[in-house]
Amino acid sequence: MLFHVDLDAFFASVERLDDPSLAGKPVIVGAAPGRRGVVCTCSYEAREFGVHSAMPISEAYRRCPQGVFLPVRMRRYVELSGRVMEIFSRFTPDVRPMSIDEAFLDMTGTRRLWGPPAEAAVKLKTCVFEETGLTISVGVAHNAYAAKIASGLRKPDGLYVVEEGQEEEFALSLPLSKLWGAGEKTQERFRQLGIVSVAQLASLGEAQIASLFGNAAGRFLHAAAHGRDPGILGPDSGRRSLSAETTFERDTAHRETILDVLMGLAEEISFRLWDSDYRSRTLALKLRFDDFSTISRRATRPAPYLSSAEVFGDAVEILDRAWDGRRKVRLLGLGFGDLTARTDGAQGELFADGSEKIRRAESAAFEIERDGKGRLTRARLLGKEGRDRRRPGGDAGIR
Amino acid sequence: MKFTCEKNALAREISFAQEVIASKNALSIMSNVLLDARAGSLSLKATDIKVSFETSLPVDTGEEGVVTVFCDKLSGILASIPEGDIALEEDDAKVIVKPTFKKVRFQLKTIAGERFPELPQAENGITFSLPARDLKEMIAQTIFAVSDDETRYFMNGVFFENAEEGLALVATDGRRLSYVKRAFETTVPTFKGVIVPPKILSLIQKHAPDEGSIEVAVTEKSIFFRFGTYRISSLLIEGQFPNYQKVIPETQKNRMLVRRLDWLDSLKRVSIFVEQKSRRTIITLSDGVMVISSEENEIGTAREEIPCRYEGPKVVLALNYRYLEEPLKVMDCEYVVVEFTEPNRAITISPEPSSDYFHIVMPMQVE
Repeated sequence: MLFHVDLDAFFASVERLDDPSLAGKPVIVGAAPGRRGVVCTCSYEAREFGVHSAMPISEAYRRCPQGVFLPVRMRRYVELSGRVMEIFSRFTPDVRPMSIDEAFLDMTGTRRLWGPPAEAAVKLKTCVFEETGLTISVGVAHNAYAAKIASGLRKPDGLYVVEEGQEEEFALSLPLSKLWGAGEKTQERFRQLGIVSVAQLASLGEAQIASLFGNAAGRFLHAAAHGRDPGILGPDSGRRSLSAETTFERDTAHRETILDVLMGLAEEISFRLWDSDYRSRTLALKLRFDDFSTISRRATRPAPYLSSAEVFGDAVEILDRAWDGRRKVRLLGLGFGDLTARTDGAQGELFADGSEKIRRAESAAFEIERDGKGRLTRARLLGKEGRDRRRPGGDAGIR
Repeated sequence: MKFTCEKNALAREISFAQEVIASKNALSIMSNVLLDARAGSLSLKATDIKVSFETSLPVDTGEEGVVTVFCDKLSGILASIPEGDIALEEDDAKVIVKPTFKKVRFQLKTIAGERFPELPQAENGITFSLPARDLKEMIAQTIFAVSDDETRYFMNGVFFENAEEGLALVATDGRRLSYVKRAFETTVPTFKGVIVPPKILSLIQKHAPDEGSIEVAVTEKSIFFRFGTYRISSLLIEGQFPNYQKVIPETQKNRMLVRRLDWLDSLKRVSIFVEQKSRRTIITLSDGVMVISSEENEIGTAREEIPCRYEGPKVVLALNYRYLEEPLKVMDCEYVVVEFTEPNRAITISPEPSSDYFHIVMPMQVE
């Protein structure tokens, strides 16, 4: 029995938690309006204006000029995410965080502790809300795919249970637009082909779907239409990795947009890593293209990562090797592999080098934020107009 | 080319050559040893491009000539046959190796000698001579501290530089540093400091005799050493060795004296339980007692107390045990002194009474 748990509008909810005057307002966390960059998260009020994550901030401002635009305070989100994940781990030892605001919980064998799945899910939701003030949406199913779809159906503060054996029926009952992994381009293709329901799609054989959508997409859509997991979790690498990913609302080949999102991912996984008891020397980049083909590339460096600037720099290098700059990207993921216990990194250095300075700058920035003395974020995420083309270093900009 | 010689004499040189050759690709000239027989002498050359080797030995020359053969296999052949004389003869792109007393013959394919790379020559270099024993001791005190992190390539060798009238060797991996300085009967001429890769230094340690001297020549790109019939050279590491002087503590507040072998033995015992990746070992000092312990893990713990001479506040240091074990192994004294100021600042390990070398180690964070 799997729970897929999603923190509702996570970054925006944290901002609202820290500043109750934002209640009921459209909160948009990401780049500053009038600058370059994208939306990271927005509240449900903002979604009503058509704002969504990974949307260029200029577009978000056009749609919702009355929105409260806030910068990303990744360390604060990591702190709260850590508390929520800790609560998850009280319910089951088998928590698989997918990103800062999303995790799979394998609840198999916990019935005697927490009762039947629906009851356990309510207890989990109550516990998270009481201890952190955040709401979560839970999807319960026997496979990861169905659980993931289910958690999205009754957001926010939702709960949806797919009973065992009902996965296919569940999938068939979904509107075609909810078919996870079927983005704008695929939906357009459905329209062209006159496919209007999941049932209609499911009635086509795998070979036929493959001939219409290509092999990778065919396999994916065929499994998804029948309520089977097309492999969204990927091979379980256990606790030895830590990653985050973003699906673009619209497939894009716009390098700057991709780099902005990559920077956000680099910060997210870096701060999560610093917060953990682990260090890593291995960075893995995942790219899913508009035809659903997915590639992963990884690189290992000699010393553990100590700053998100190093992570971003290496991520850009991996991206440039893996991507020709023309194929449209629908999903971008970044993660650390081969995590090792932090004590490795506790070795002091004789010669203070740059990375140590950058790491210290980042932790100073965090302390400034935490103590309420100001808000700092990376110049890249500020999206300065006409900024120079240097690779970002440890430069943090105050706004 | 044709010559006869005593098998063991040739085997010794071929195995030295094989240590120099890095490649095991039978089709590459770089895997081959060059044999040049002429006027009662066989000269041998081998190289991995960075490190080069030349030597010669007396042989019975039948027919002069130059040829190269796959060194790995020649070495194997020589190791497999009993002592006695052997003959090597070139015959139509092959070398035939046969002991004179057994009915066995090996044929090795050859690559023409002309295709063998030109080895660097010590022209216009700064030359000096060092007692072999001194150089070997100095290498032993430093070579283990060299970094193998290729992104810190400028730390991938031992730094040789003038120190007053003598010579200093320094090695560091950024976390610990080893230093030795020695003066000799003759003054070392002034040269610009050079970073010497450890491979050639290991070859010297292994093959140079303890007695006699080693001739050194330093050019802009290479360093050359000559001892006995051997001439070996290495390309230098380009780049700037870090400003190591500034990380050597000038003064330290606290001082502890311990019997070297007591400490080394207890480290070996405790290291059984030390986490193998971080090698984090806890050293706790209080009046007259040093406690060496591992951090508790799922397997268990180890803890040992040894006497030491220390008067001061109780101090807890976390250190990579390898950074202690490696210098302690090569130090040649009964007692060592450890000096330190704070648990997160570099410690100094030196022999008591003090000598011409010391080791600096950066601790790990005490959590």
